[in-house]
Amino acid sequence: MVTSKELLERLIDEKKLTYCENCGMCTASCPLTRAIPEIYNPRILLQRVVFQLDDVIKKEEFWLCAWCYRCTERCPQGIQPTEIFLLTRNFAVEKGYIPSNPKKIFQEIIRSGRSVPVFEDFDDWREDYGLPPIGTTISEKALEEQRKIMGEELIRRVSS
Amino acid sequence: MTLEYALYPGCVASVRELGYEISMRKVFKTLGIELRSVADFNCCMPACLVHSFDYKRGLALTARNLCIANEADLPILTLCSSCFGNLSRAKYLLDTDKSLKQDVNEILGEVGREYKSGVKVEHVVTALYTDYTLKSLESMIRTPLKDIKAAPFYGCHIFLPSRYLKFDDPEFPRNLDSLIKVTGAESVDYYEKTSCCVGCGSFFGELSDKASLLLAEMILDSAGKQGADCIITTCPFCIMQLEMGQIRLKREKGTDYKMPVMHYVDLLGLSMGLKPKELGLDIRRSDMTPLLSKIDIQ
Repeated sequence: MVTSKELLERLIDEKKLTYCENCGMCTASCPLTRAIPEIYNPRILLQRVVFQLDDVIKKEEFWLCAWCYRCTERCPQGIQPTEIFLLTRNFAVEKGYIPSNPKKIFQEIIRSGRSVPVFEDFDDWREDYGLPPIGTTISEKALEEQRKIMGEELIRRVSS
Repeated sequence: MTLEYALYPGCVASVRELGYEISMRKVFKTLGIELRSVADFNCCMPACLVHSFDYKRGLALTARNLCIANEADLPILTLCSSCFGNLSRAKYLLDTDKSLKQDVNEILGEVGREYKSGVKVEHVVTALYTDYTLKSLESMIRTPLKDIKAAPFYGCHIFLPSRYLKFDDPEFPRNLDSLIKVTGAESVDYYEKTSCCVGCGSFFGELSDKASLLLAEMILDSAGKQGADCIITTCPFCIMQLEMGQIRLKREKGTDYKMPVMHYVDLLGLSMGLKPKELGLDIRRSDMTPLLSKIDIQ
């Protein structure tokens, strides 16, 4: 199987990156840059992923991307910053750099199969509104398959 | 022909936005669209979560849901744009990248499943627009909302990226506008119409909180200035961000936008003559009274 580093390299496609014209379309399209320009700038972040990968994974900036895909949609050279930042996260996780918030939500998914926790009597509440029950977790079968697909190694890494 | 879907409930809609789920079920039932409940779905694995930790295992977990819909031989219908985007992305990647599909199927094989192409992925709004069609919707309108100015808020994961989401034009989307016009309401044009609420990335603490609040303010401000009576979204995540945003803006800055935020099905339901309570409008965070007072409800 291909590792995340290899996948990342395939996606970054060095040849393609030399086509980056530094036009800043990604940055101009980014909603996060509009809100927090002093902190988040995909054009610069992309360069740092290419040239300073081992440094960049220690910072939490690239975890901020909300997957809106505007940069990927508009890049005139067909570079996919959204997917590149995602694989950068994979690489950071492999190296043991995991920010606390995503880790907490991941642990909730491992426990209940949902990213939003459901409290004990929630189904009574749903019933009051005529909605079918959803249970406090996804089905046992789904949880078991989820556990197997995630694999022990990943679960251990996120649980520690 | 009756439309039939495997309902994919997701977490934000069925846990945090019950009002929307009530409304969606009521509207679809009234339209005669069948929703089948299918056992054993797992989380869509919001891209920013499990995919962030392990690209392929994340993809396999998303694809597992496609396998289940395939077995049920039904198109999958999501309530949330994030689920729609994730399932569509998995479908696209697996259908176009053979070696990735092989790797993912190797993982799925561990639980006795295999991804096969051919699953149709729809979203509440795309199903209404593409499958049910505007023309059929028109014939269901009982109380046209002619005095309502509705500001469409497209969100992201219903039409971006156009590489795998073919619902609308990536730069100038207009399908939600058309859907709003069917209800008799005016669709308001405003600067932030195709902007992003950053809801899907709002997990990462203080900075994402700060960013989402600033964006909510820009969106609410822009819609308000154009005289919108309400903001109409396609996604429960956007509803949550824009409503919670208003609560926070009132508390932290003293600005009270009083802007009702609804899903498209809410607006459609009202125009079909359904009662606000039937649409779960009585359990929202927004105060719907000013909006409802403009609609002639018996």
